[in-house]
Amino acid sequence: MTSANPSPRPANEAIRFDYVSVEFKRRQGDPVLALDNFDLSVAEGRFVSLVGPSGCGKSTALRLVAGLTEVTRGQVRVVGAGHLRGFSRVAVVFQSPNLLPWKTVIDNVMYPVRFGSPASDFDYRARARELLDMVGLSRFADAYPAELSGGMQQRVAICRSLILDPKILLMDEPFSALDALTREELQFELRRIHQHTGKTILFVTHSISESVLLADEIVVMAPRPGRLKDRFDVRLPPERTPTILHHPDFPRYADRVREGIYGKTAA
Amino acid sequence: MSTAALRPIALPAFAFALVIALWEFVVTAFHIPVFLLPPPSAILSEGIKFGWPLITVHTTATLQTILLGFACAVVFAVPLGVLLAANRLTAEALYPLIVFAHAVPVIAIAPIVVVSFGVGLVSRLIVVTLICFFPIMVSTASGILNTPRDMNDLGITVGASKVQRVLTISLPNALPFIFNGFRIGITGSVIGAVVGEFVSANAGLGYIIVRSTSDFNIPLAMAAVIILAVISVVLYQFVSVIQAWATPWAPKLDR
Repeated sequence: MTSANPSPRPANEAIRFDYVSVEFKRRQGDPVLALDNFDLSVAEGRFVSLVGPSGCGKSTALRLVAGLTEVTRGQVRVVGAGHLRGFSRVAVVFQSPNLLPWKTVIDNVMYPVRFGSPASDFDYRARARELLDMVGLSRFADAYPAELSGGMQQRVAICRSLILDPKILLMDEPFSALDALTREELQFELRRIHQHTGKTILFVTHSISESVLLADEIVVMAPRPGRLKDRFDVRLPPERTPTILHHPDFPRYADRVREGIYGKTAA
Repeated sequence: MSTAALRPIALPAFAFALVIALWEFVVTAFHIPVFLLPPPSAILSEGIKFGWPLITVHTTATLQTILLGFACAVVFAVPLGVLLAANRLTAEALYPLIVFAHAVPVIAIAPIVVVSFGVGLVSRLIVVTLICFFPIMVSTASGILNTPRDMNDLGITVGASKVQRVLTISLPNALPFIFNGFRIGITGSVIGAVVGEFVSANAGLGYIIVRSTSDFNIPLAMAAVIILAVISVVLYQFVSVIQAWATPWAPKLDR
């Protein structure tokens, strides 16, 4: 099966999925096709949301780029980062903050440095303090993660993902475990960080409004087998503030995502 | 200090004093012979008669066995526990052997150890090490196996190798478990040291117990037992304090 919307190939490609299939073997029964012929090209500097119901392979796609899962067929490429390692190449923000509880906040932010490709003459500790300052946590640099709220911990995780200045950020439903107010706050904060740093962000979510709110481009996925269903650009103003929710085009984009997920009838 | 602040000290102290008084009263009132159950007063006076210098010598000898044996166990058990949990091949090769070795009652082989290694410190250390080796190794292994999957994924994505992941993620994550093993192990060390001194010593509190019971000097034997109990409690608390200091992130444990 070929995708309905073959992905155009931009000149400044950052991530490329070349007709990727992933099969998971099960102990009994047939293997599960988590991704079927997934073909996608992500342009540099774009904020791309992968949205869809559970089982649609959106997290699998992310884990492929992160190197946590292997393709069964096809190929995933991170373009122009061959010489970089770890979080210098691709940084991940997980669904849970996933901080190391025995390290202080600043040491958690510093953790990826020695395993990545750090610049030799750069003060990463000072950079870590800058990042913590940016998310309003400079006072907590020497605290342990357990002393922080869930939202604060996820902010630290975002700082950790930025410490080595990666080209690509992968985010796997990073705000889904947070309360509604904190989530909204962090969504706009993340968008601001994206505007500010120009990173390529691949953002997995199962929230329709979140995908529209954040993304420049939305990839709608469907389950059984996991596949690409629809893909379109979100032409909302790049500066996203809470007023974006009242933009006349916002519901139009949300409806298109909904249509991709539920089909025409539900819309 | 307020009464509320004093209560956690005063209440147990009172209960303790009451038990001692009751013990003394029962022994005197029912004319129980000293060699069956010595009263607390007899234990105290016999201990004093034995003399501080001798008590110090024997206590030091026992402490030396406990601490050296415990240290040996830590040195072998922690790395082996890590290796067992982190490497499938070692786990498969060694696990049945370890289960079998653990099934052997160490106290039963203590006399055999003495035959093989002679009467001396080496035999006693072997007994102590064997007794506290397993709880420490098993705690270490289960701590390593307890590493959350997400943390391991973090290690992979930051680019850490398998060995680096074990050292920077699994091992610190296992520290509270390892210390729990230490707390079980240190109590086991006291038992091991006494067993070792029963079969292979001419000094130490275990040796005092054997010698004084053969002289029907039960109060002195009881005095040695009480010193051992104090050693056990103090060492356990000491490990707990180190644990709290070394793992400040972990939830505080009840002592």
